[in-house]
Amino acid sequence: MARRFSVQRQTGFATIAIICFFALYLPIVVLVFYAFNSADSLSSFQGLSLRWFARAFENRQVIDASIRSLQIAGVAATAATIAATMAAIATTRTEPYRGLTLKYAFINQPLMVPEIVTAVALLIFFARIKIWTGYNGLGYLIAAHTAFCVPFAYLPIRARLENMDSTLEKAAADLYATPWNAFRYVTLPLLWPGILAGFMLAFVISLDDVVITEFVKSAGQDTLPTYMLGQIRRTITPEMNAISALFLLLSICVVIVFFVVNRKRV
Amino acid sequence: MAESNAVEIRDVVKVFGFGEFAFSAVDHASIAIRKNEFFTLLGPSGCGKTTLLRLIAGFEFPTSGEIILNGEDIGTMPPFKRPINTVFQSYALFPHMTVAENIGFGLTMLGRPKQEVRDRVAAMLKLVRMENLAGRRTSQISGGQQQRVALARALAPQPKVLLLDEPLSALDYKLRKDMQIELKRLQGETGITFIFVTHDQEEALTMSDRIAVMSAGKILQVDSPRAIYDAPADRFVADFIGETNFLSGRIGSVTDGIAHVDTAMAGRISATLPRDFVAEGDVTVVLRPEHAALCDADDPAACQTTGTLENIVYFGTDTHYHVRLGDGETQFMLREQNKPLQRQRFSVGDRVGILFEPNAARVLRN
Ligand SMILES: Nc1ncnc2c1ncn2[C@@H]1O[C@H](COP(=O)(O)OP(=O)(O)OP(=O)(O)O)[C@@H](O)[C@H]1O
Ligand SMILES: [Mg+2]
Repeated sequence: MARRFSVQRQTGFATIAIICFFALYLPIVVLVFYAFNSADSLSSFQGLSLRWFARAFENRQVIDASIRSLQIAGVAATAATIAATMAAIATTRTEPYRGLTLKYAFINQPLMVPEIVTAVALLIFFARIKIWTGYNGLGYLIAAHTAFCVPFAYLPIRARLENMDSTLEKAAADLYATPWNAFRYVTLPLLWPGILAGFMLAFVISLDDVVITEFVKSAGQDTLPTYMLGQIRRTITPEMNAISALFLLLSICVVIVFFVVNRKRV
Repeated sequence: MAESNAVEIRDVVKVFGFGEFAFSAVDHASIAIRKNEFFTLLGPSGCGKTTLLRLIAGFEFPTSGEIILNGEDIGTMPPFKRPINTVFQSYALFPHMTVAENIGFGLTMLGRPKQEVRDRVAAMLKLVRMENLAGRRTSQISGGQQQRVALARALAPQPKVLLLDEPLSALDYKLRKDMQIELKRLQGETGITFIFVTHDQEEALTMSDRIAVMSAGKILQVDSPRAIYDAPADRFVADFIGETNFLSGRIGSVTDGIAHVDTAMAGRISATLPRDFVAEGDVTVVLRPEHAALCDADDPAACQTTGTLENIVYFGTDTHYHVRLGDGETQFMLREQNKPLQRQRFSVGDRVGILFEPNAARVLRN
């Protein structure tokens, strides 16, 4: 009897898998571990303590940067998700036509154009606007984040729409639902998990961004990642580890919330 | 007389594609569907049944022609404004709603008061005998039950016309038979006009008040099941519905509405000439297998033609005989009902005669 081919049974498969997992997770485990270091530097481990977490929570700059990050991510992810939902509906609920592929490419452009190019372009573009308007607030960062978050929100929403039976919307229209009501009572409830996934992804991507933020931000507009980058250039203390560990915790929470909310739905 | 029609389709054309790819899925179709009628669209796959139904529902708009409802052309009206509901082949039940919410959806969208919606949902659940499943999710009920919910949902807003696109094709044989009876009962009890699509001719014959036979986008014949079966308007209809023998030839003479047709395969045979038929040129005589019988070949006065018995197939209720006709090419089919303790009169290889009444055979234009 011939055994079915299984990649899991190939020699060396397990070894490679284990090496990959180590390469991915060992540095993170070490980072989190050293966050609990009671020593003043990362060079030696002198016992467990929460002092660096306490330090991080007392650091005004860390608090400010964190709040700013969450504000930007919250607003940008929301705006990007709304735009992405509309784009996804417009590009899937239509007969295919010439130019549709171009539109996909256009929407997904931020995934393809190198981030640094966008960053430089935005720097120059916003510099002009800053001079004209005199406005220096968070709006620029929010606008930039919204723009590059759109494709991340778009992909899961579109995937969900493509898997959704479009006769359901026809059935709604057949049962006297106006286009808005059909969207409100049929499309939206069924699309919700996709929208949520898109929002979460956009949120995390925005939270994590360094390159574009670094170029676009005005003085005193550090987000958590750009603040950390600035600190690491000077001295590395376990405080950075503590902040990173907290950041990681936040990401894990976002993912868990997503799974919990998603499992309750069809 | 327009008042007695539920929907009237006037010279409707639906073209898909452009330029050299343009193609008419519905081709100058005209039908008047009466109020309170069980009307069936019957035809082979791809003949445009679904397209015609979608035109009536409003999911497609006609390229030309009119769709009249209540004396008004609704051809370009969007589906949510038409008092017409559809039972989809895939049921298309809303998976995020309960059975009751699904059934109440149409009335809720029409802005009816909550109490009225509740009462009507309860009445519909009773009508389709699903009272105890009101709170279930649609994913938690069987295929047959989903079918009933789809029906109840479409009937709840009391539409003028109900459209059903092969609603039974996903069900197994037994359930299908039950649902056929159920559908007839629902149509009778609600008094709503049903337009039913199928490519199953038996289903069409047993259920319909009238049938429209379609082919390649055209309506070939609209008639009662009996008329469609007994008096097909053309060769296609005769061939599509039931089994038929075709004998082609030329009309020799006509006496009292009976044509005497000279054929190469069966000699001179007599058949009914339909009214207002111009009796000239090449024609085809069509004859149902059960309308012919075997007879003694040596008695030419009693038989219309003769041949060689090639095959006998026993079917329990009846027996099929295949007879090779005089030209050696054409096979003629006969079906005789079995009677108790009947002895086999003929065996394979015998020379046999074929007997039929001239009014059972019909002359059709080629
Ligand atoms: N949206 C469309 N674009 C192009 N051609 C179409 C479209 N819809 C249907 N057609 C074509 O129109 C013809 C009729 O299709 P239709 O679905 O009405 O057939 P049908 O009679 O319902 O067949 P079946 O019994 O297989 O369901 C087919 O040849 C089909 O390919
Ligand atoms: Mg069809």
